[in-house]
Amino acid sequence: MVNFGNLSQVFAFIFSLASMAFLLTGLMKNDMRFIESGRRSLYGLALFTTLASIALGYLFITDSFQVEYVASYSDRALPMFYKVTAFWAGQKGSLLFWAWVLTVFTAIVVRNTRTDLKSRNTPYIYLVLATTASFFLLLLTSLSNPFALLGFIPKDGQGLNPMLQNPGMIFHPPTLFLGYIGFTIPFAYAVSAMVIGKLDETWLRKTRRWNVLSWVFLTIGIILGGQWAYVELGWGGYWAWDPVENASFIPWLIATAFIHSAIIQERRNIMKVWNMVLIVLTFVSCLFGTYLVRSGVLQSVHDFGATGLGGYFLVFMIVILLGGIYLIAESYNDLRTKHSLESYLSRESTFLFNNVLFLAIAFSTLFGTIFPLISEAVTGNKLTVSQPFFNQVNTPLFLILLLLTGICPLIGWRKASADNLRKNFLVPALAAVIGAIALFIAGIREFYPLTAFSLSIFVIVTIFNEFRGGTMARRRLTGEPVFTAFPRLLYKMRRRYGGYIVHLGVVIIVIGITGSSAYKLETQGTLYKGESIKIGDYELRYDDFRGYRDRNRDIYAATLKVFKNGKPAGTISPERRYYINAEKPTTEVSLRTGLLEDLYVTMPGIGENEEITLKVTVNPLLIWIWIGGFLMVAGGIIAILPNRKKKGVYDEIH
Amino acid sequence: MKKSVKKTVIAVMLIVAGVGFLIYKGVSETGVYYLTVNEVIAADPESFNDRGIRVSGKVVEGSTNYNQRDLLLTFTVRDLDDETKTMKVTYTGVVPDAFKPDVEVILEGSYDRESNTFSATTLLAKCPSKYKTEETGEKE
Repeated sequence: MVNFGNLSQVFAFIFSLASMAFLLTGLMKNDMRFIESGRRSLYGLALFTTLASIALGYLFITDSFQVEYVASYSDRALPMFYKVTAFWAGQKGSLLFWAWVLTVFTAIVVRNTRTDLKSRNTPYIYLVLATTASFFLLLLTSLSNPFALLGFIPKDGQGLNPMLQNPGMIFHPPTLFLGYIGFTIPFAYAVSAMVIGKLDETWLRKTRRWNVLSWVFLTIGIILGGQWAYVELGWGGYWAWDPVENASFIPWLIATAFIHSAIIQERRNIMKVWNMVLIVLTFVSCLFGTYLVRSGVLQSVHDFGATGLGGYFLVFMIVILLGGIYLIAESYNDLRTKHSLESYLSRESTFLFNNVLFLAIAFSTLFGTIFPLISEAVTGNKLTVSQPFFNQVNTPLFLILLLLTGICPLIGWRKASADNLRKNFLVPALAAVIGAIALFIAGIREFYPLTAFSLSIFVIVTIFNEFRGGTMARRRLTGEPVFTAFPRLLYKMRRRYGGYIVHLGVVIIVIGITGSSAYKLETQGTLYKGESIKIGDYELRYDDFRGYRDRNRDIYAATLKVFKNGKPAGTISPERRYYINAEKPTTEVSLRTGLLEDLYVTMPGIGENEEITLKVTVNPLLIWIWIGGFLMVAGGIIAILPNRKKKGVYDEIH
Repeated sequence: MKKSVKKTVIAVMLIVAGVGFLIYKGVSETGVYYLTVNEVIAADPESFNDRGIRVSGKVVEGSTNYNQRDLLLTFTVRDLDDETKTMKVTYTGVVPDAFKPDVEVILEGSYDRESNTFSATTLLAKCPSKYKTEETGEKE
């Protein structure tokens, strides 16, 4: 199976190179036969990366520890489920996963474009995709081969990091990767549009579904990452502005800006250059994300160690960036638009500001991430920044973005009249002000929480108004009852209303983040049996302690009785686990989650007399982050639902 | 039409300037010095007092003392390269899972020269586990 895997990779590499060669020859000689061969090679490429992936999966399932990668990330005691998912636990498998998904996506594109083979840009799309695949296969067949052998057969593997043995962790890396990889396709379309000089919005229309789908995957990946950090890492939070978190957040920010400005180009035929810039930046930042995780240039919880791959990624990113800049500069005159913004009081200008803000946040996040690397070289000062920097810089920017989210639907396209503005703003603004006063009286008086909650009310009322207005209009027109009119409206105008659902999700996330960061309670202490610890309305009494063996780990669990306002409210049971293969114990969080607040308990220490050290956190409103995240994903999916009349997703997606 | 474009450009420039200011302010208000133990104990006592200090060093074997009841941890940390340069550390709070003798730690807090003691407000232990080193087999 090792040889099979190796051979499959090599064949895949040959197919990707052959495809590039065929396509280039075909383009130079203007010979369709070569282009057809290049096209077919892409199917072969997808086939062989699939076989290589199956081979690696098989090696994991069969405990083939003679393979270095398998021995490093699995062991006999590992449950089957995690054996399969250990596939992408390390760098080599992740790269194979990248190559595999990319080539499968490529095959889908190839199938969808089979009828427009004669259109001039198609071969260039193939060429960009084949080149990207070649890059990954080059790494896989040389520096970073997942099928490399140890030279001996160890009795057992080293096991999977216990922190990765968590359901959230199974889907976090691959969904993030699916997002990263998905943006290769719009990038390929953009490049081909610039090469052949067909610079209208065709490429945006054809890749809209890929854009939104990739964005949805990035969103899922980021949220799952936060959830994993929350339930598994045990420090009581979900986001720490860790370099690797930032590496996934920066592409998300740029992609979000891109999705918005693409709408402007489709509607108003402006911002063509800008969109080209954004898609190049999105793709480069996706590569940067992969690079940052896998290169070890920055220290983080995801620190995977230096691997010598960094240089290759850096070169590839620079080539893409310079190539992109060159193409944009070359076609700059054709990309420039005759139209321009008509008024700064227009919906398109809110999109423009939205773009500036998203990029500003992306920039400050990038700046803070690489600041430790550049500060000493540039200033001679050994300065570094961490979490507080990101919170301080990005919070005001996010709040302005939130305000724009509310304003945008209230302003008409092109130029809004003062009258129209007054009428539209009245209700939401009034609601926000009343809400702010009520919150102030209720005791929420700090500037940021009060602003964030009031703006949230503003946006929610705006969105609700949009839904209500649309539903009522449809009801008048069709005579349908509300419960029929609403879902039909949602489906009929799913691009628009899907977008609003995403926005609603964002607002709900803002509420969750504000509550859980501004009103978090935290305490720690060491208890003997019978003693209690107090936090907020809660009192926790330490009743019982036990230890037992479970599969590949020893578990020590404490049982605590919870009292809320003096009344019994169930028990919680934080654990410490000692995995047989790990050097240090892991902390298992005990979580009582509710719509208003989470009670979050970890047990970082156990003494000789069964005294336990506890860390207790109360996180208000935190669950709304996950609810909002779910809405964002649902809204994104609604926005790209296929038409019922057409043949299906695949015919639409290209 | 021209006028509105101009206004928009000015607005965008204002935002960019505002962001620049936010970043500048962010760095100067939240930035901390990242130093080695050697640099901390050798420095002019005044020079790093304007902002926090982050130090990385190694926990000296046999120096650890933890009062679990009061969550009070004291230990000695040495320079990563120079074993003779050491300072005492006090820290109140939960000890990270990965903390143990000879492991690399990152501390944040302030340094008192007279007692050669670093009062840490945060303590991070770098995980020495195989999960980091196995991929290369060369790091440490």
